[in-house]
Amino acid sequence: MTETLTRPPVDTPPPPRPTKRRRRAVAEEPGKPWMIHVPLVLYLLFTLIPFYWMLVFAVRPSGSTQLVPWPISLEHFDTVWNDIGFGIFFYNSVVMGLGVLVFVTILSVMGGYALARFKFRGQRVFLLAMLCSQFIPGAMMLIPLFVIFKGLGLLNSLTGLIIAEVAFQLPLSLILMSGFIRNISVELEEAAMVDGCSRLRAFFAVVLPQLKPALVAVGSFAFIGAWNQFLFALMFATKQDKFTLPVGLSYTLGEFNTDFGALAAGGVVAAVPVVLVFAVVQRFLVQGLSAGAVKG
Amino acid sequence: MRKLLVAVAAAALALSACSSEGGGGSDGNVTITFWDNNGGPAREPIYKELISRFEAANPTIKVEYVGIPSASVQQKYDTAIAGGETPDVGGVTTSYLAHLVGQEALAPLDDRINGGALKDKLLPSLVETVRQTAPDGKLYIVPSSANMDIIWYRTDWFEDAGLEAPKTWDEFITTATKLTDTAANKYGYTIRGGAGSVFQLITEAYAYSGVDTFFKDGKSTLNDPANAELVDRVADLYKKATPEADVNNSFTQMIAQFTGGSVAMMHHNLGSYSDVTKALGDKVAAMPLPVGPSGKRTVVPNPTDGFAVFKNSEHQDAAWKFAEFLTSAESNSYWNEKVGQIPANTDVRGAAWIDQAAHVKMALGVLEDPTTVLVPAPVYLPQYSSITKTDSEPQYQKVLLGELSGQQFLDEMANKLTEAQKEWEDRK
Repeated sequence: MTETLTRPPVDTPPPPRPTKRRRRAVAEEPGKPWMIHVPLVLYLLFTLIPFYWMLVFAVRPSGSTQLVPWPISLEHFDTVWNDIGFGIFFYNSVVMGLGVLVFVTILSVMGGYALARFKFRGQRVFLLAMLCSQFIPGAMMLIPLFVIFKGLGLLNSLTGLIIAEVAFQLPLSLILMSGFIRNISVELEEAAMVDGCSRLRAFFAVVLPQLKPALVAVGSFAFIGAWNQFLFALMFATKQDKFTLPVGLSYTLGEFNTDFGALAAGGVVAAVPVVLVFAVVQRFLVQGLSAGAVKG
Repeated sequence: MRKLLVAVAAAALALSACSSEGGGGSDGNVTITFWDNNGGPAREPIYKELISRFEAANPTIKVEYVGIPSASVQQKYDTAIAGGETPDVGGVTTSYLAHLVGQEALAPLDDRINGGALKDKLLPSLVETVRQTAPDGKLYIVPSSANMDIIWYRTDWFEDAGLEAPKTWDEFITTATKLTDTAANKYGYTIRGGAGSVFQLITEAYAYSGVDTFFKDGKSTLNDPANAELVDRVADLYKKATPEADVNNSFTQMIAQFTGGSVAMMHHNLGSYSDVTKALGDKVAAMPLPVGPSGKRTVVPNPTDGFAVFKNSEHQDAAWKFAEFLTSAESNSYWNEKVGQIPANTDVRGAAWIDQAAHVKMALGVLEDPTTVLVPAPVYLPQYSSITKTDSEPQYQKVLLGELSGQQFLDEMANKLTEAQKEWEDRK
């Protein structure tokens, strides 16, 4: 270290001034299009091919082996929607998904605010308990929940499913949400309160608007979690008109016969809403996740 | 806080009060629930038709159909039993019958069967299979339908090559090799190496060895050297006369390969009838599993399907009436014709459709043949499915990949089965 410092600087020639050509090379280097695009395209293909496969199976007539299905046939969609009852399953899934979304979002905002803004006895224990509840697999809770729900008359009802799913999703959403709220500076709220707002009004006027990305992140994950919920939906429903989409999908898989066309069409029906949700919210999602997950 | 608790408790009470379901109305009408243990679009319409016939004949009984996805049926029954929310009638197969009987969930049916129209009308081999499954030898399901392991083969490939359906394992192996043309992506056979593999392998092993009992002096015969020989011979075919992906084949992949047209022979059972004929039409036929050097035909029976009446049911008489109706000659014939399985009701034997359904006739022929020996697998052992599936399937993949010999593989499994059998005998 010292040696290099004491050495007279004239010994090493000064770095050549960047010539025009060299500057261009430097500017181009990070941008060589193929270095970014080829891996990305490969990755995209890797992700999309299974979906393409599902789509192909769904829209080509049974027995066909075309790779590019044409003409497109909607017979499988007709089968799953009308004959197998995906119309009802879809409705049930939507109701359940929206129910879970609403309750998880509202409750996690309320709880998250309390966790972020107030100090109370047992706060750490509470957080720890919430976190630990995530270690219990749903399958273990199945029979106790079944017995409780039977006593409450909540079997065979979407209400019961929503309650169970909200209970399972709430801890993580709560922790996530409190992380978001902690990141919103208290000073803004205090300023609003100095100006005469009540705490509640300050929350609605100052905190809630800034929470938009968090609401989207928590809400969409709640929706998708509910949308994919299989175990409880299967076990708590003993009437076919209370099945949800995942149960309906497994229903198309017989022990001896599987109608791949119908299965794929059902898969498309189940996947489209999720894809749409992500397409709409992805901008908020990235923003929201990085804000909450890292700093929370 | 206390107010809130009271409110919640009151709400809960109110909810539970509303939910007390009334099965039996004051007008004498009852509603019973029926769980189809292999629910799905293929079978639902068949049951719906039978239910409407039953309701027309019994106007005071309404049947509510619930199709349970077959992959989750055992878990669903377990949860329902633990929660006391069982159906009145349920489809049950012998593969998990012992488990349900162990939880005392089912009502024995001996008296009902013998006191009614089904007396002496059920295939004795199936009745025996059911009886053997329960620890106390009682009939807890009324058998309705049976399945049998067979080999589906492509008649067009055989014709083109001038070959006949093989009758012995030696012929089978040469045929499989002859029909293989790896360059053209054509294979003589496909091995089930993934989920469900070992059950099929066991039926093959006993068909080959001619060993006619599963336990001898309390010891499993599974590791008989002749059984091991078959395992090695099948493993020998892997990659030579079968696709390389076979090592992970479960039923779905296996059938996709066969119906996709790259395989000449596939070992499965009658249950895949609709799949294979839908894809291949009359270019496919069934043959029994080949016979080994002993010349004896030994068959490991498939799980027998039947209907159980649940002990918790408040309407056991109505439930039995429905189960009996489903097993009556007419319904049993209708159902088995649609799904292509072996009817349990012996009166169906003469039905016209059996003459046309070559695969069912063939299977019935094997079951009726007095020289056929049935070697029931000990599905009554609580550990049976974990030993043959969880423990052994990965081991079998090692055999296919040449990392384990057939004998070592079977020794390991036989030891576990012997132990489980001993435990079971001790508890009886």
